[in-house]
Amino acid sequence: MTVPLTAYLVVGALLFAIGLYTVVAQRSAVMILMGVEVLLNAIGLNVVAFWRFTAPGDYAAQIFAILVVTVGAVEMAIGLALVLLLYRQRRTAEVDAYADLKR
Amino acid sequence: MTAAFELTAFGVCASIAVAGALGMTTTMSMFRSGIFLMASFIGVAGLFILLSADLIGLLQVMMYIGGFLVMILFMVLVMHDPGGAMMAGMDMAPLERWSSLGLVPRQPSEAGQDGHRQGEAGDQATATGHGGHAEPDEPRQGSEAHGEQAPAHDGAANAMPHEAHGGHGEHAARQHGHASHEHEHGGGHGGMDMGEMDMSMVTPVRPLAAWLALGVGIVLVGMLVLRPAWSVSDALPDPDSARRVGHLLMDKYMVAFEGAGFLILIGVFGAVLLARPSAYPDDASRGARVAVDAKPEPIRGDRLAPQAGADRTAGHASGHDTHHQHGGDAG
Repeated sequence: MTVPLTAYLVVGALLFAIGLYTVVAQRSAVMILMGVEVLLNAIGLNVVAFWRFTAPGDYAAQIFAILVVTVGAVEMAIGLALVLLLYRQRRTAEVDAYADLKR
Repeated sequence: MTAAFELTAFGVCASIAVAGALGMTTTMSMFRSGIFLMASFIGVAGLFILLSADLIGLLQVMMYIGGFLVMILFMVLVMHDPGGAMMAGMDMAPLERWSSLGLVPRQPSEAGQDGHRQGEAGDQATATGHGGHAEPDEPRQGSEAHGEQAPAHDGAANAMPHEAHGGHGEHAARQHGHASHEHEHGGGHGGMDMGEMDMSMVTPVRPLAAWLALGVGIVLVGMLVLRPAWSVSDALPDPDSARRVGHLLMDKYMVAFEGAGFLILIGVFGAVLLARPSAYPDDASRGARVAVDAKPEPIRGDRLAPQAGADRTAGHASGHDTHHQHGGDAG
């Protein structure tokens, strides 16, 4: 283990920051979902890195990572279905056009 | 695994992951965003395998790339302007300009009737080899699209050439981007017409978002660096960790596993229910199924197209990259 734990965590932090920027700055709903995917990747990387370096004998961390991927899959399917539905009705995927949904 | 190999593999995978994510968020083309995102997923999968979590790495490749990314790319191709041809050449920060290299902006208001001038613009962009240099064309096209906004467009026209020369730093470019974003927002209430639509890919809060993400990243990395080290265990995991995980999944965490499977089932049902076309023919969702242009723009540089003409000769200079982008556009 020549690469320290902090290096993996730094990569996870960078991915998290980029995903956060994508979610806040992008205008298209599909791009926002891509940003959420990057956020989930950062989370999974952190979980697996901590498993490897602090408790390599306990494989529950990998179960947790699998559950994170599963929840990401469901979120992706539902989110894309919602975007497709809204896109059919409004001819745009930009979330600014969906602001009247909250009224 | 020798130390040198591990260091090299970590460096390659980490840089692929971070650079892919950066390219995903900065490019103007949504299709390119998907491809960059795939690179990022592959990098993270490599990191998982380096961490000797083989199963998670394989799962990453299969689920994220095989499942999510195909879904995303399918969605992107249904959208308007998936190749970013309309957004390319608008206000771009240097990083965005780099990751949008080779995107030739197309001008929707002149699309059909003025193929020759369009070809000129393409030539200019290709000759300089720099997508940003086609920016001075944009205000001209915009002011034709809606003339009543002339003063605001003049302001934008003054701002754009400065940005195209690249003489300013990223901050200045961001300021310009902010200003012209505001102007776009003012003029962008036209609705569905392509000439008046607000075509930018990012919101006006982009500088704020950039500073926010930068701050979060710096704080997280700083906390990681300044924190005293975790108690790192020297034990090696079972090299056959996939078998252990499988046993856990079928034994101790079976309820969680089944619950996750049930959640996916419900999610698939919900997605199908949401995305299915309505049974009522007068529903608004049935009229607008996909985004098809009423008069589709001919593909420039398409050698397979039967009709030759001004479009084809003008498009030759643009080369394969244009072909590829517009091919994705047409899909």
